[in-house]
Amino acid sequence: MTTSAPADHANLLVHAYLDGELDPAHALEVERQLARDPVLAAEHAQLEGLQRLIRELPLESAPQGLTRRIEAAIGMPQAARWASHPSYHPSWRALAASVVLAAFLASGSTWFALRPGPTATVADMVVANHLRALMAPQPADVASSDQHTVKPWFDGRIPESPRVIDLSQQGFPLVGGRIDVIGRVPVPTLVYRRRQHLISLSSVPSSGSAILEAVPRAIAGYNIVSWTDDGLTYWAVSDVAPADLHSFAQDFRAVGH
Amino acid sequence: MLVEIRNKTPKRLSSTVEAPSVGRLNGDQDRIRFQSVVMPHLGDAYALARWLTGDRADAEDVVQEACLHAFRGIGSFAGVNARAWLLTIVRRAAYAWLKENRSAALVMVDDLVAIEEKQSKQCAASGEVGSQTPEAALIAKTDAARLESAIAALPLPFRETLVLRDIQELDYREIAEVTKVPVGTVMSRLARARRRLITSLATDVP
Repeated sequence: MTTSAPADHANLLVHAYLDGELDPAHALEVERQLARDPVLAAEHAQLEGLQRLIRELPLESAPQGLTRRIEAAIGMPQAARWASHPSYHPSWRALAASVVLAAFLASGSTWFALRPGPTATVADMVVANHLRALMAPQPADVASSDQHTVKPWFDGRIPESPRVIDLSQQGFPLVGGRIDVIGRVPVPTLVYRRRQHLISLSSVPSSGSAILEAVPRAIAGYNIVSWTDDGLTYWAVSDVAPADLHSFAQDFRAVGH
Repeated sequence: MLVEIRNKTPKRLSSTVEAPSVGRLNGDQDRIRFQSVVMPHLGDAYALARWLTGDRADAEDVVQEACLHAFRGIGSFAGVNARAWLLTIVRRAAYAWLKENRSAALVMVDDLVAIEEKQSKQCAASGEVGSQTPEAALIAKTDAARLESAIAALPLPFRETLVLRDIQELDYREIAEVTKVPVGTVMSRLARARRRLITSLATDVP
C-alpha cells in the first residue's frame, strides 16, 4: 500500500515480460519475482489471459475493393493488379497481403531484388524460400496441423525427417511442411502460423566447418532468427515482430527438449 | 481480368483518387516499390484505421488517403521497416480525418487521458492490484463482441497503443516510432490500456 512506486515499476516489467521485451537477465528477474509474489503472479496471469483473448479476435483483411481502388489510384498497370489474379486458394484469403506481394513478384520486375545472387548467404536463401512459399497457392506441400501427419511425410523424401513440434499451446499452430533447397541441399521446412503471419522454419545440417556468417536480423523486411541444436542449424523466417519470432524460437527449443 | 466488377460503391471517395497527375509524376519504379513495400501491409493498415476511426467505410477512406501519401513519399522511404513506416502514415491520416470529422471526440480524449492518469496513480497508490481471481474468471468468459467494444471504448492514445501491440504485434520500439512518443510512454499507456480493459470487462457485465 505504501509501495506505489516500486509496485508500478514491477508492474510495467510484468507487461514488458509478457511482451517479450526483456533481455534474458531481466526476464529471469521477473520470473523470480513472479514466483515469490502471488499478487504479481495473479496480475501476470490476468494480463496473459487478456492478451490471449485479444489475439483471438477475428481479423479482418483489407476489402478487395479497397486494394483495387488504391492500385487504380496510383496508376498500377493492369497486369500487376490483384484483380487479375482471382484464383488463389480461398483458405489463404487471410494471407491476402502476402499473396498480393506474391502476385506482383510473379509478374516479374522486383524478383531480382529478392533472389539470392551468386554470393547468397544461407539467410538470403531461407528468405527467398519463404517468399517463394508465400507465392505458391499453398505455403506447405503437406498441409496439416498434426505433427504425426507432417513428420512421416518427410520420410523417404529426404534423408532425415525433422523434429516436428506442436506449438499450438504457445500460439504457433502448425500449418504443414515442405522441402526447400538451400545451396544444393534439400532441407525440411516446417510452416507455423502466428495469427495471419506465417513462419518458415528450416533446419540445415551444420557442416563441420561452421560457416561463419553474421546472421542478419532481417532481410527485405522479413525477420530472421537462427540457432544451432544437435548438429542442426535452424532458421526461422517471418514477418511477425522480432520479439514474437524470438519467443517462437524459445518455445521450439523449450518444447523440443 | 473478369473478376467481380461489382463496384463496391465508393463511398465518400476523396477527390485525390482520380488525380491523374499522380500517375505521371512518379515512374514505374515507384509503383514497383509501392507494390512491394506498401501492399503487403495493407491489411494491417486497414485494421489500424478501423480501430482508430471505429468505422469500416471511414477506415477505407483513411487507408486510401494514407496510401496516396505513401506513394508520393515512396522515394524517401529508407527501406528499413515498411510496416512501421506505413502505419505511421496511416495513423497520421486517421488523426487528420478525426480532426476533420470528430474534432469533439479528439478534444474529449485529451481530457480523458488526464483523468485516466490521475486515476491510475491513485489506483496504484492504494495498491488495488491484488486479489483479482474473480476478474480473471469473468474475463475468460468474455466474448469477442464485448472485448471489441471495450477496446473501442478506450481513449485514443491507449487504444492505439494496445492495438499496435496486441493486435498488430509491433514491438515497443516500433510503437514508439509510430506514435511518436518515448518507449516509457508506450509502456505506461499499454499498462493503463490493459488495466482499463480488465476493469471494464470485469465490471460491465451485460
